[in-house]
Amino acid sequence: MNLVLVGLNHKTAPVEVRECLAPAPEDLGDRLAELLKLGGVREVVMLATCNRVEVLAAVEGGEVAGAIGAWLADGKPLDPKTVADYLYVHQGEEAVRHLFRVASSLDSLVVGEPQILGQIKEAYRAAAAGGSSRTVLNRLLHKTFQVAKRVRTETNIGGAAVSVSFAAVELAKKIFDDLHGLHALLVGAGEMAELAAEHLRANGVERVLVANRTLERAVELAERLGGGEGAGRAYGLNDLPEVLGQVDIVITSTGASQPVITQELAKKALKRRRGNPVFFIDIAVPRDVEPAVSELDGCFVYDIDDLTQVVEANRESRLGEAAQAERIVAEEVVKFNRWLGSLDVVPTIADMTQKADAIRAAELARTLHDLGGLQPGQEAALEHLTRAMMKKFLHDPIMFLKDQHAHASESSRREHLALVRRMFRLGENGEE
Amino acid sequence: MSGALHWATLAAYLVATVLYLAFVIWQRRGLHIVGRAVLWAGFCLHSLALGSAWWETGVLPATTLRQSLDVFSWGLMGASLLVNLRLNVMILGALIAPLCALLLLAASVLAVPSAPPSKLMTSVWVPVHVISVLAAYGLLALTFLSGALYLLQDRLIRAKKLGAAFKRLPPLSRLDSLNHNALVAGFTLLTIGLITGAVYAQIKLGSYWRWDPKEIWALITWLLYAVLIHTRLVQGWRGRRGAWLGALAFGVLLFTFVGVGLLFPGYHAFDSLPKLEGTLP
Repeated sequence: MNLVLVGLNHKTAPVEVRECLAPAPEDLGDRLAELLKLGGVREVVMLATCNRVEVLAAVEGGEVAGAIGAWLADGKPLDPKTVADYLYVHQGEEAVRHLFRVASSLDSLVVGEPQILGQIKEAYRAAAAGGSSRTVLNRLLHKTFQVAKRVRTETNIGGAAVSVSFAAVELAKKIFDDLHGLHALLVGAGEMAELAAEHLRANGVERVLVANRTLERAVELAERLGGGEGAGRAYGLNDLPEVLGQVDIVITSTGASQPVITQELAKKALKRRRGNPVFFIDIAVPRDVEPAVSELDGCFVYDIDDLTQVVEANRESRLGEAAQAERIVAEEVVKFNRWLGSLDVVPTIADMTQKADAIRAAELARTLHDLGGLQPGQEAALEHLTRAMMKKFLHDPIMFLKDQHAHASESSRREHLALVRRMFRLGENGEE
Repeated sequence: MSGALHWATLAAYLVATVLYLAFVIWQRRGLHIVGRAVLWAGFCLHSLALGSAWWETGVLPATTLRQSLDVFSWGLMGASLLVNLRLNVMILGALIAPLCALLLLAASVLAVPSAPPSKLMTSVWVPVHVISVLAAYGLLALTFLSGALYLLQDRLIRAKKLGAAFKRLPPLSRLDSLNHNALVAGFTLLTIGLITGAVYAQIKLGSYWRWDPKEIWALITWLLYAVLIHTRLVQGWRGRRGAWLGALAFGVLLFTFVGVGLLFPGYHAFDSLPKLEGTLP
């Protein structure tokens, strides 16, 4: 059994490729089922965010990474060869490290941004619900959540949260000069968009309107982003043509598969604004703003990739925090690997015998001390007795484990081993 | 006296040019503040130079190309300093200082007028006409410059090239305000200048309009700027389209100012202005 992680992210692939490979949220279950049918794949979790598409699998045998890569490109309007160029493959310890880094937001476009952990949890939930995540990945993902939490509490990496929203504000200032009195519109109610809106308000933006597929969520968000009377600033997506003419900054983050803001729509809005510029910040994948919108006079469109450049400058200051976070990740990788290695018959038997013998020796020592002044022959007899009891008692569990080694399938063996380790509270597994 | 002041002005503009160059490179705010102070000092010297020349001859020194360039650079400098009081487009000094220094240098190498100025030029109508028109040219040059900077910054933002140039250029909306203010003020002054010119022509030469090349081209220029203002205020042509149209209008303006005065014969040409006498046939 080995871990394999195949994927691409904002560093290796442009947004067009990423949005092409990302599955629609409602299809994720089917995609996971397809992955499980690939030869050698035993467990699998798939993560798709605006910045990355990654498949994490527990596999048997080699060459599975190639099959996963081919599966990703399969049926997509992309040349499989080019897709292969964008992909990275991590195996074993490297896969674990990569996942920990991603979850700790060390691999994010905006280092320290908080959303990624929630997105991984979502991906895990989907996999667990479909039964594609079992012993190994369950354990790995839970560990991942702990690592991310540890990084967040022990370092200040999220605190600086020099995020996409920060970059957006910097750009807005170069377009509008002063943000005071401006109006912003959120299209879609993602967490990242909310963060950006808060940042804009902190920099003087007067009103934040919210347009969302479901009106309730829009009202709720509008209320949070401006204190009370949220209903007056909440709209459905159908109201977009009307609302768009009233705002200077538009942040889109819907999950729609088609662009929500078309060139025609933007043109009308510009007319109503008498040529006043509009700044579109598109943090959705697939993108919400049609590329043709950026050709219009007075329309400035930045998608998530473009914001990288603005963010780049801020990255330096957080290198210190990041280094500390990397150390935590490295530590946790070692721990997880120790556990993964222990999920084998021989180390489990050794751990079990060792633990039993430790208990036996401790109890024997206490009894001998209590009895006091036994003859050497008597001591030897007690020693023999306890040892024999222990061996007899452990005989059946050990036979069971050896039987697993010989006959059971890899995945059921792993599950049984994990259960035994938990039952006897062995090693790392027993600590929790 | 006016000669010494002229050279002092040029020196001040050159010093400011160096200061602003350093400002553009190192982005130290202090350099901009000192540079701006030097420019204000230079502008005061410039005003004194023009004033003393006017005092010496009794005629506003704007009858030859040399003098016109001098007054034009005075108008440009004054307009940009005044507009910048509110808008604070720091990079503007880096463009205006060398530009005005160049204009003054160009004026310095041109021939000094030999003939004494015409008596027609002593009326109060002439300075009103000339100063309005040349200050309008200065403001409209500012419109052109801010439009050019707008195009540049717009292009950088669209191309997502957020490097050194992006950081140094002012925000788009500030350039747009600069463009707007300079355009409205420049157009108003141009209108005043043309009207006063026409009225004085009626008084002295007997007709408002004489189909002189300068008059025709000035009217074309005025019409182009009227179109520019209309598209901007009514149709919302801001940003790129407005900037390109502004560039076209300014090209025509330059031709009207320099080209027509040199190329076409006519009472308004630079070499016939000093000789202008009495009523024209």
